[in-house]
Amino acid sequence: MKLGKEEIQKIVLGGLLLLGVVYSYFDLLLGPLMKHAEQTQQGIGALGPEIANAKAQMAKTKQMELDSPQQTLPMRQALAMIPEGSPVAWFPTRTADFFKKQGVDKAATRMTGESSDKDLPGFRKITWGVDLPKVEYVTFAQAIAALENEEPLLEISAMQIDASRDDVEMQHVFLTVNNLVKQ
Amino acid sequence: MALRLNLYHEVIRAKALKRRDPLKISIWGISAVLGCFALWYFFELVRMHGINDEYLKAKGEFSRVEPQAKVARKREEELNQQAATSVKMVKRIEGRFYWAPLLAELTQVVPREVQISRLGGELSGDAVRRCSLSIDGLSAGTDPRRVAEDLRTAIADRLSPHYKNVTSTFKTLEDGTEMITLDGKQVGTATFAIIVQFTASDDTQTAPGRRKK
Repeated sequence: MKLGKEEIQKIVLGGLLLLGVVYSYFDLLLGPLMKHAEQTQQGIGALGPEIANAKAQMAKTKQMELDSPQQTLPMRQALAMIPEGSPVAWFPTRTADFFKKQGVDKAATRMTGESSDKDLPGFRKITWGVDLPKVEYVTFAQAIAALENEEPLLEISAMQIDASRDDVEMQHVFLTVNNLVKQ
Repeated sequence: MALRLNLYHEVIRAKALKRRDPLKISIWGISAVLGCFALWYFFELVRMHGINDEYLKAKGEFSRVEPQAKVARKREEELNQQAATSVKMVKRIEGRFYWAPLLAELTQVVPREVQISRLGGELSGDAVRRCSLSIDGLSAGTDPRRVAEDLRTAIADRLSPHYKNVTSTFKTLEDGTEMITLDGKQVGTATFAIIVQFTASDDTQTAPGRRKK
């Protein structure tokens, strides 16, 4: 079979057309579609670990929430020991009552300073001066032991014991104590 | 043998040529290829639709869990902070300096020949806390200076097992002018001031009152 000139032209033209169609198909239709599919799959792949992380985070927090009451028990106990209201209103009275219970009749407490504690957010440290004008040494020592045991949020930072000139059995004591209170 | 003449051979040939028309065959071929392409595209389109559905589902789930995770992260930080504060609170309570055991030790160490007129104590420092005591008093006896010296060393010896880096030094030690009666005898006196220093607590040390002997 011999092809004529016109037929050869048609075949060439058809071939060119076919090439154009194939190029357009891959470049304009299938290519972008597959690229989009690939990107979407990558997106799914990227979301997978993020979803897993989010779920793991929620599970971890849930577990922490369950463990939290045990972990924060000391802090909650400490908070429960702090009365409501301004410390100036309750601390001097509480101290006076405590020393009276221990056999020390006179105890005058004054606030001498206040500072925030960066280690303990939600708390602040108040410094008090406690003056015990007339106290017997053994009674005082027992009272201090009881104070240190009963008031875990309180620490004596300084003390001064002076022998009384009028009564050799009695001493004048001045305590500087730091107490943690709610912010 | 009969002779057969095909008078239509030209017509038949033309028909055959028309059947094998390359243009027609090409069109069929191209149509087949295009059909395959269309099918492939359709297949990919369906697959893409499935992937898109999966993506939307994942995105929806992510949109649902992400805010919850953000809240959970914030809550975790709060819980961690609360736990850390609680630990620090316990550490602070456990690491307090207890004065009562110290007063008890001093009571044990002061002999009857000594009268303490002033006792001062102060804590200083944050991480390593030092305690400084100043003890002023009067010693009496045949050798009142010796009595004061015995007190100084006794304080150091008594406190050393319970506290670290105990030092006990005289700030002043002077002969007193007054004489006192002790056990029916007139004896001389000496006034003294002793400075006692020791490490009250550090990060590795627990409260002195709770230490095992």
